Amino acid sequence: MADQAQLLPGTLDLLILRAVSLGPLHGYGILLRIGQISGNALLIEQGALYPGLFRLVRQGLLKATWGTSENNRRAKFYELTAAGRKRLRVETDNWNRLAVAIGAALTAKPEEV
Amino acid sequence: MRFLDTLRFRIATLFHRSRMNAEMEEELRSHIQHRADDLERSGVPRAQAERRARIEFGGVVRYKEEAREAAGGALIESLLQDLRFALRQMRRSPGFAVTAVLILTLGIAANVIVFGVVQGLVLRQLDLPHADRVMTLQPKEGGPFLSYPEVRDVRDQNSVFSAIAAFEVQDFGLEANGVTRPVWGCEVSGQYSEVVGIKPFLGRLLQRSDDDHPGASDAAVLSWSAWNSDFGADPNIVGKAVRIDKHPYTIVGVTPEGFYGTEKIGVSDICVPMANEASLDGVNWLDSRNYRNLFAVVRLKDGVTLPQVQAELDTISGRIARQYPKEEESLALKVARPGLIGDFIGGPVRGFLAGVMALAGIVLLAACANIGSLFAARTADRTREIAIRIAIGSSRWRILRQIVVEALVISTIGGACACGLAWMALTGLAGWQPPSRFNFKFQVLPEPSLILIAFLISVLAGVLFGVMPLRQIFNTDPNDAIKGGGSQFSAGRRWALRDVLLAAQIALCCVTVTAAFVSLRGLGKALTMDLGFNPKDALRATFDLNQAGYTADAATDHFQRQMLERVSQIPGVEAAGYANTTPLAFDAGVAAVFSEQTADFRHSNSAFDTYYYDVSPGYLTAAGTPLLEGRDVSFSDTAKTPPVAIVNQEFARRLFHSEHAVGRYFKNRSGASIQVVGIMVDGKHFTLSEDPQAAAFFPISQKGDTKTALIVRTQRDTADMVAAIRKVVSDLDRAIPIRELGPWNNQLALNLFPSQVATVALGLFGAFGLLLSIAGTFGLASYTVSKRLRELSIRVALGAQAKQILSAALGRMLILLGTGSVIGIVLGAAATRLLSVIVYQASAHDPFVLGAVALTTVLTGSLSVAGPVSRVVHADPATLLREQ
Repeated sequence: MADQAQLLPGTLDLLILRAVSLGPLHGYGILLRIGQISGNALLIEQGALYPGLFRLVRQGLLKATWGTSENNRRAKFYELTAAGRKRLRVETDNWNRLAVAIGAALTAKPEEV
Repeated sequence: MRFLDTLRFRIATLFHRSRMNAEMEEELRSHIQHRADDLERSGVPRAQAERRARIEFGGVVRYKEEAREAAGGALIESLLQDLRFALRQMRRSPGFAVTAVLILTLGIAANVIVFGVVQGLVLRQLDLPHADRVMTLQPKEGGPFLSYPEVRDVRDQNSVFSAIAAFEVQDFGLEANGVTRPVWGCEVSGQYSEVVGIKPFLGRLLQRSDDDHPGASDAAVLSWSAWNSDFGADPNIVGKAVRIDKHPYTIVGVTPEGFYGTEKIGVSDICVPMANEASLDGVNWLDSRNYRNLFAVVRLKDGVTLPQVQAELDTISGRIARQYPKEEESLALKVARPGLIGDFIGGPVRGFLAGVMALAGIVLLAACANIGSLFAARTADRTREIAIRIAIGSSRWRILRQIVVEALVISTIGGACACGLAWMALTGLAGWQPPSRFNFKFQVLPEPSLILIAFLISVLAGVLFGVMPLRQIFNTDPNDAIKGGGSQFSAGRRWALRDVLLAAQIALCCVTVTAAFVSLRGLGKALTMDLGFNPKDALRATFDLNQAGYTADAATDHFQRQMLERVSQIPGVEAAGYANTTPLAFDAGVAAVFSEQTADFRHSNSAFDTYYYDVSPGYLTAAGTPLLEGRDVSFSDTAKTPPVAIVNQEFARRLFHSEHAVGRYFKNRSGASIQVVGIMVDGKHFTLSEDPQAAAFFPISQKGDTKTALIVRTQRDTADMVAAIRKVVSDLDRAIPIRELGPWNNQLALNLFPSQVATVALGLFGAFGLLLSIAGTFGLASYTVSKRLRELSIRVALGAQAKQILSAALGRMLILLGTGSVIGIVLGAAATRLLSVIVYQASAHDPFVLGAVALTTVLTGSLSVAGPVSRVVHADPATLLREQ
């Protein structure tokens, strides 16, 4: 647990979108998927997922339907809407640009300045 | 377990208002179950797995709240929750809730009522088409009256008014269906209907042609209310013949419902053309520039601005003044807001209402400060509860919102109660007739917009006092609060907001109390002041013989002298006399007085203006006006004998610089020399608050007047005497409609009316202010004491003296009380200058007033800290320390 990174503000939404883009998931499933695709490197308190999910639904980026889970329990499944897919693309590009820029800044050597 | 969950879900759907809530619960539960499933699979026993899943999930309450907010529409849901919580809180401490609602109700009601009156009398436009173009035309200085030739000149020479009309309110004897009734009539000039711009309800209104020349038309227009009450809403009224003061008229139309003319305080029953005035008034003043008796109203042409109007009026009045230097020398005209006879009573009324409005605002502020500190104190008591809620993950915003919602709930209930109260008060006021022979009617009907105002005020109040505990909430540290048991109230604490609030509140309340005392004192003086006559034990009857067809010349010989003889013979009559009118009846004549040497009788050469009356022999005795020197008038003073007059001390002082003026002469405008034959005392003539005015009494037998005011001094029972007087008059001539008959004192009620209104209004505010400061002081004192009871009792246990304890517990309170009171009294004294217009001799420099205010403050202060003080002194340290 100790080597898990704190989530940057605003990145949870992006992670959710990405997780759901791989197929419809319920809340707990999203958490598992994020853990799986990030190599369990991120620290997310489980409850903190839900405000994000509700916000994305309200923004029309996700849509939710009740269904039955692999454990045979009732669960709410989330999937991307068209707007959600578009937003994921935009946000991913933004993130990549940001990551490259920050990475470059942090690895700059004295002689390059 | 599953079954229980499902059951809980079902119950949740049943009991939760929104489906969303239940779904969210189910979703979160499903999450936890899935996690527990995983944990169980890894070998953890089910019960333990569920517990761990719950812990891993984090603050369910907080995430639920956040999720609800994120989902939108949650605001309403959580507001509903806050509302339910607030109502529950109020049920739990009904004393607090009732006090707060009561204080607010009074505070808001005061504002709504005052606003209702302001709206009715000042803000609301006249109920006429394009009312913003209608104005009152009046002289720049002095009274509101114009002469007919002045109005006619402006009418003929201006290019800025689309219509201009003069009107005069007159009492008429209206004879219809064989009965004569005294009614209030209105003589209007030809363009009146164009100025008001209304459409008739029935028939037609008066037109220019009706007013073309005397006798041009016998048309009369009824008001809607007179048509209803006196003519049974007869649909065939148009064309009906009536008689006004014995002259035949024909009803040609009825004005629409809700038309009250251009004044907001009076209503007349019937309108007739002004051209016929000579036959109705008994005096022909249509061509007299000295006879100023008319109000004038105008309708501005579209697109004309007020500066243009003023420029044109200046030109016209300058031209008139040059043309008629003798009469019109000082003529200067202006237009003013209509509705309250222009600026004449509009000015003082607006000033007074602004003052009262400010007081009402102060009272509301004080009430808010009061409830604010109550709230702050209560929030402090709830520190522990709030701390626990913060600790389990509730956000501070949420708690703050809850407190504001509580404040809003209380203020909304207060606002609703206030609205009801104000509605009743205004309805009462609208239906109420001030004590006067005039047909007053206050058009202050409550309007729906008042509800909006009440609502706005209550929301404002709610927010005002609701945010006061804000800092307290944001500074709450859960750990400290829970550990300290919520009593971290150190002895040497800094001055807190609530201390300032208390001082401010006491200061504000002192202002209202000072104002109340000043006006009470003024009214007291007005009631006992020397009027120059004695209305006690005197009856007064008024009527106009003109309405029974007498002329001014015939009035004395053919009616009034016989009446006086017969009345004097009624057993029990000590003295009787009559005059054309009496002081303080608002219709005395005013005339210029010239010194004997004057030859050019233009107004600027006059010595001063004097009130004048025509009186019969015996009037002075009957009225109780002492004659200081000389003789009374006599019936042997006739038109054929040299003119004489009785003047008052002020008159003599001004003209002759001596009060011993019997035998000396002065001149009137027409140049006649008049000899002073008597000197009488000064008195009040127009208002009670006026400075000494000059007055002259002329023998009524020298001039004659149909207007009659009979004064009878008697100790006998009023009802018997009234009947006897009525019999004398009707025996002499049945056709005379008596307008007023009763104790003179009652008829003076209108003179006392403004100061009575002021006193009632300010008295109420004063009482309310007092109540507030008692509640505020008591609240804070007992709060301070209860918070420090433990500390104080330790001191007592260690041997502190009662005096030390008192100063420790309440020293600060006393400083606040003292400071607040002093500031308040100073402010109040400054504010009462405004009052002096309305209230007789209103002055805050009166030692009586200052003493009374100081005494009241000390008494209230002691009264409100007495309870807490005795609690401290009688506290038993042993019990207390054990309890806490």
